[in-house]
Amino acid sequence: MPVKLRFSWTIIVCCGVLIMLTTGCGHRIELQATADSSPKPIVREIARDEQVPLVIDSVDTTRNGSPQNSSLETEHRVLGTLRGVGLFSRLGDMNSPEPPASEKFIRARLLFDEAIDSHSGDVAWKSIAIGASMFTLAPFIPLEYDYSAHVTLELERWDGRVKHYESRSAGTAHYKMFGATPLMIDELKGHVTESCLMALMEQVVRDTAFYTASSAPILDQPIRSVSVKSKRATFTSVPVTTSSGK
Amino acid sequence: MPYLARILIALVLGSLVMTNCLYAESNSPKITVGTQEIGLSVGYLFAHRLVEGKSKTKQSGPAFMPSWMITLTDPIGNSWYRGQISLGGEMVYIQFQEPVVTHGVGFAPKIKYSFVALDRIHPYAEFAGGPFWTDLAGNIPEQHSQFNFILMGGLGISYFMTEGFAINAGYRFQHISNAHTSKPNVGLNSSLPFAGFSFYF
Repeated sequence: MPVKLRFSWTIIVCCGVLIMLTTGCGHRIELQATADSSPKPIVREIARDEQVPLVIDSVDTTRNGSPQNSSLETEHRVLGTLRGVGLFSRLGDMNSPEPPASEKFIRARLLFDEAIDSHSGDVAWKSIAIGASMFTLAPFIPLEYDYSAHVTLELERWDGRVKHYESRSAGTAHYKMFGATPLMIDELKGHVTESCLMALMEQVVRDTAFYTASSAPILDQPIRSVSVKSKRATFTSVPVTTSSGK
Repeated sequence: MPYLARILIALVLGSLVMTNCLYAESNSPKITVGTQEIGLSVGYLFAHRLVEGKSKTKQSGPAFMPSWMITLTDPIGNSWYRGQISLGGEMVYIQFQEPVVTHGVGFAPKIKYSFVALDRIHPYAEFAGGPFWTDLAGNIPEQHSQFNFILMGGLGISYFMTEGFAINAGYRFQHISNAHTSKPNVGLNSSLPFAGFSFYF
């Protein structure tokens, strides 16, 4: 092979490797705007002696409609966000002892419903194309991973009054085959969850007055009973099949 | 053959012994999008005739197959077929012991569907194909060109001894031919039982 031709091939191969490394390993996260979030942060003031403690009563998690074991990570994340808001004097997780009935405090119940779509069918076809091309198409074939979260927060005041808050957020990770990493998925979930919790906290902050210690007296006859009930199963034994990883 | 058989038996027995040691502290595998797998499989090739009389060579020998894969989907489906798709590549080295001692080396992109419904046990189906060079060609009447293609399809089982380590065993059907890039082109078909291990990270 002539030297000039060999040099040209070396340049072409180097360019190919460079393209493969720069575009084939990339990823981009696209976050959809949360409908209920305001562009400006909402600020309210509360006196320190007006703050009451908050205790997490329950954290329920569902993924693509199926109940999951709640992770400590989710609970800590919610507690961290609530701490950042500064509305409550003290925060307790599910294992914390509940304050006595004579004390004013807020009970929180959280439902975290997440939906994941890894576009499996699409990925299968694209994988065949990438493999058949000996990976040369890997930098040019985009792959996608969708994640959305719907968080419902229920805050119960010491006098039994309950407020419901909810927020939704969704995002998509656009990536190339060599850019697929568990970290990328964690990053996407992190952004979506953060956006969702921020929108939720905005709603809670708007109701600051509702959670001040002077907003309601402690009941003379505190609530000494709770409803004991079993949940009706929302799923029957009918098999559910989807082609998109849901 | 006896040497390779000893290696395979040692690999299987060693893995079984390790299983008992590691079982207590191991967890179920958590394979998600982006989880990578590197592995090594070792097997022995036996000639396999699909059409009687067309191919006469009884090629055989050990095969070594280091591989890399990346998981591209979360589990699909909600029944026994619940599984994940992985894509990657595999190097294939075959030392043909019969009819003459020769060598073959190739690279094959590989796609794999792993069934994940059985927790620690992941049966899988795989398909791979790519270019293959061998100097067996020229020594046999079926192939004269050293540049060939290799196609492999098979089934296997991975047993996760820990969250990130699995032992594998399976069977592959293998086809080597030159895809009519030269004459003659009589395909060499073979059966390849194999065993190996994989690391997940």
